[in-house]
Amino acid sequence: MAPPAQSQRSQSPSQPSGKSEVSDLKLQLRQLAGSRAPGVDDSKRELFKKVISYMTIGIDVSSLFGEMVMCSTTSDIVLKKMCYLYVGNYAKVNPDLALLTINFLQRDCHDQDPMIRGLALRSLCSLRVANLVEYLVGPLGSGLKDSNSYVRMVAVIGVLKLYHISASTCVDADFPSTLKHLMLNDSDTQVVANCLSSLQEIWSAEASTSEEASREREALISKPVIYYLLNRIKEFSEWAQCLVLELVTKYVPSESSEIFDIMNLLEDRLQHANGAVVLATVKVFLQLTLSMTDVHQQVYERIKAPLLTLVSSGSPEQSYAVLSHLHLLVMRAPYVFSSDYKHFYCQYNEPSYVKRLKLEMLTAVANESNTYEIVTELCEYAANVDIPIARESIRAVGKIALQQYDVNAIVDRLLQFLEMEKDYVTAEALVLVKDLLRKYPQWSHDCIAVVGNISSKNVQEPKAKAALIWMLGEYSQDMQDAPYILESLVENWDEEHSAEVRLHLLTAVMKCFFKRPPETQSALGAALAAGVADFHQDVHDRALFYYRILRYNVSVAERVVNPPKQAVSVFADTQSSEIKDRIFDEFNSLSVLYQKPSYMFTDKEHRGPLEFADELGNLSIGEAADNVVSSQRVEENDKDLLLTTAEKEETRAGHSQQASFGIDDLLGLGMPAVPNVPSPPQLKLNTKAALDPSTFQQKWRQLPIALSQELSLSPQAVAALTAPQALLRHMQSHSIHCIASGGQSPNFKFFFFAQKYEESSNYLVECIINTSSGKAQVKVKADDQSTSQAFSTLFESALSKFGTP
Amino acid sequence: MPPLMGIEFLCRVSDVLSDYLGGLNEDVIKDNFVIVYELLDEMIDNGFPLTTEPNILREMIAPPNIVSKVLSVVTGNSSNVSDTLPGATGSCIPWRAADPKYANNEVYVDLVEEMDAVINRDGALVKCEVYGEVRVNSHLSGLPDLTLSFANPSILDDVRFHPCVRFRPWESHQILSFVPPDGEFKLMSYRVKKLKSTPIYVKPQLSSDAGKCRVNVLVGIRNDHGKTIDSITLQFQLPPCILSADLTSNTGTVNILGNKTCSWSIGRIPKDKTPSLSGTLVLESELERLHVFPTFRVGFKIMGVALSGLQIDKLDLKTAPSRLYKGFRALTRAGEFEVRS
Repeated sequence: MAPPAQSQRSQSPSQPSGKSEVSDLKLQLRQLAGSRAPGVDDSKRELFKKVISYMTIGIDVSSLFGEMVMCSTTSDIVLKKMCYLYVGNYAKVNPDLALLTINFLQRDCHDQDPMIRGLALRSLCSLRVANLVEYLVGPLGSGLKDSNSYVRMVAVIGVLKLYHISASTCVDADFPSTLKHLMLNDSDTQVVANCLSSLQEIWSAEASTSEEASREREALISKPVIYYLLNRIKEFSEWAQCLVLELVTKYVPSESSEIFDIMNLLEDRLQHANGAVVLATVKVFLQLTLSMTDVHQQVYERIKAPLLTLVSSGSPEQSYAVLSHLHLLVMRAPYVFSSDYKHFYCQYNEPSYVKRLKLEMLTAVANESNTYEIVTELCEYAANVDIPIARESIRAVGKIALQQYDVNAIVDRLLQFLEMEKDYVTAEALVLVKDLLRKYPQWSHDCIAVVGNISSKNVQEPKAKAALIWMLGEYSQDMQDAPYILESLVENWDEEHSAEVRLHLLTAVMKCFFKRPPETQSALGAALAAGVADFHQDVHDRALFYYRILRYNVSVAERVVNPPKQAVSVFADTQSSEIKDRIFDEFNSLSVLYQKPSYMFTDKEHRGPLEFADELGNLSIGEAADNVVSSQRVEENDKDLLLTTAEKEETRAGHSQQASFGIDDLLGLGMPAVPNVPSPPQLKLNTKAALDPSTFQQKWRQLPIALSQELSLSPQAVAALTAPQALLRHMQSHSIHCIASGGQSPNFKFFFFAQKYEESSNYLVECIINTSSGKAQVKVKADDQSTSQAFSTLFESALSKFGTP
Repeated sequence: MPPLMGIEFLCRVSDVLSDYLGGLNEDVIKDNFVIVYELLDEMIDNGFPLTTEPNILREMIAPPNIVSKVLSVVTGNSSNVSDTLPGATGSCIPWRAADPKYANNEVYVDLVEEMDAVINRDGALVKCEVYGEVRVNSHLSGLPDLTLSFANPSILDDVRFHPCVRFRPWESHQILSFVPPDGEFKLMSYRVKKLKSTPIYVKPQLSSDAGKCRVNVLVGIRNDHGKTIDSITLQFQLPPCILSADLTSNTGTVNILGNKTCSWSIGRIPKDKTPSLSGTLVLESELERLHVFPTFRVGFKIMGVALSGLQIDKLDLKTAPSRLYKGFRALTRAGEFEVRS
């Protein structure tokens, strides 16, 4: 529609200045109004066009209202349409005219031509003038009963528009139930589809206040409605098919034969020319089979080909959207796609956002059989003109190397990169070689020979320089001139701008000193002096610490700075599996494109109605109560958001902790096998406590957090926690019951509850355990706040006994 | 809102508008704003896509073409909107306009294929697949029921159909059975992967020494399909580290554009010689050798053959009218055809 009022736009001299032209038009319109001469419609049309084009450039032509309405008593639909556009535009800003408009449109709602009836009704509902809604009810009611499907279709959407202007008027006129009747009985599928989309919107909005509406909303995904829609699916337009398919994803079949029936019925939708239909069908297939692992795998096989075809056809935007979804699936089930790796090869003139996705997918699908070819292909990209992609592909090579397939060949490739003499290639490759050495120390000989040849002058990027320095320190015994390189680096201390590099330099000089003391002594002295004088706090502190520990005892210093290291087995993953699952649940939405769950980029008030059910779906066991209102959903999401960031930090912390384990042990501070068990608490718990999931949810959102703390798990406990069930049984023996649990190693999430003995006071606990760091995040909520501390100690002691025989 | 629904709809809007207006740009939209407004009004309401089938839209809103103008002058009926509501909205075949009549019944089937290939510097074929479309242009009276079958449907890897194609016959016998929309439309698209050879070869050789790089590129026909390969072009981006380039060819013309893109248009390959491009690139002063190698993008066109090998077996019409013309064509183009050096 034409944007109204754009009067700000500077008016060029050629454009009409207003006044005189408008009065001129008025005169001409008046002349034509009564005329019935042949060809009069044509001249009217020209005039109308002029009026509307004036309107769009911001000239006020509202004074022509009367004439326009008079002129539009015609059967010419184009004239009518232009007139509707005109009146629609002015009714909003000019209440005097609105009433006139309504009269005019109401008259047209009884026109003989169904097209005019429909158009008038559409315009009438688009007026959005709140105090005139009572005039809408009549025409809408008769529109819904119209004999022509076009009018009914418009009327159905009209009901929705009315609802948004005035919800109470719409509900009072009992339109929702009329729509429901139409949806189940109308012969025209477009009417049915419009009913469905309107009802979904209306009932979702009503559900928060009305019990009945939320029941009606549930009824939409009941078996009879779903089957009715599915049986007619081929008659629907492609867009309506998307709508129906989206609804089907929310349907939970009662038995597995139903699942197969639905999939058989929808199988040909995968071959539809419209990508939106294909993707919606894919979502149905994936959601239906979530609980059936082997069928789920077959689904992956089945949907693979259609998705790959979608990628190669259509506009870049379409292929990017499909590719993002494919990316998600590849990340979830890389082995299914491992034979199709060639589809993820980058084309020269693809945009870099597509290339980046493809590189990630190539990394994911690499396995024994295709690693060689994939790495060869990735090496081609390293010579790519597009520098960010070249870097990305080198990183991808490194990631594949860390996946342990055919490391031998990859190391050779990486070393070739180092010899390519391109600064960014060298930089990326250095970082990778460092990571590789941390995981596969056995490769040190080959790598060091090459790394030793790299002049540190050619490496400028802080990350790469830090990596090089780390290797110099770590392998100084194998590199002839390591002390001298380090020495020259120390001499240029002041020119080194990155604190990270300076920190690494300090540590490297220390390590070198322990291995080759006579050669390094002077460099160490210089480095410590420069470090202590450094303005950067961390560098200063580390230099001071090294200095003092050296003074205290050199052998202790060596044990701290240069302990024997274990190879790193797993590098921390950047995105938690919970977020990935969340995105998967929101398949076929923007979440996949942004690679973020929807709560991270939508406002609270716009969040979809069924999200909460998904949330609980992830945590098995507990039966999710569905009659949840939107406010609690929001809160739950917020809590989750906090949780996931905390979790990220935790994995990071876990990572560094792993590296420092060796140090702790050497210092004789080995973790106690069982933390000190606190004295037996006073609190007694009810051994047969019972709580249903919905009450739990309700309480969880009502109660404030009484206590939040981080507990350490004993190594035995970590070892015992291979599956959530193990902990459940243990806690049960301490009268703490589990209501929901989920997750996979290393992250587990539990919701526990307990009841005070002979009292109905409840304690609710959320416990997130990361086994790689051996930490548990515990949040306690209690009916009786005063005893929460006592409960927490109880909980802690119960948890600490886990894993002990 | 599913993202693809939005994107697909926008693509459809742009298709319909350019179909109606014969192009799509700001000026055309300004000139025809009434039609654009009418179309959008029918295509989407309250944010939900409604009618997007061009055939039905055309029944509701006449395109602003010369025919309708002539017609309106002759008949004196000046409305470009039909008086009746489209009958097809309620019918089971939403893509077909109600009962068109033609004096000559014609149907044409085109196979249009695009070959995507990546070839490494050693001439090894990294990846080669064909994306193809079956385009049909039908002018048939009444409700024609067509069946189209292929001689070798088994080579198709994946297929997508226009909604008019019935799924069951394809599933059981690989036969396309459909009631076509009127006019031109895309009946089916398909993908054929793992092809073994490309119609032409490109052999780039780059050797650099002492700040200069010698380039030599040969282009030739690999295996003869018996059809001429037309409009062969070769394009590549010179790396940014190149100061100047001096390139000549023995056939066709070489142009170096402002953004350091070199394009060599060959056209047809002459019988007597192999087209070659040669010359030197001068590198930036500090550089001894070239480290980034350009990728050559190749374009070509072959009339009369579908390189995937797909062949149409026959096209039948149930209740064939007295005079029916059937036509078949095939065409292969280069899609993303790249040769690395």
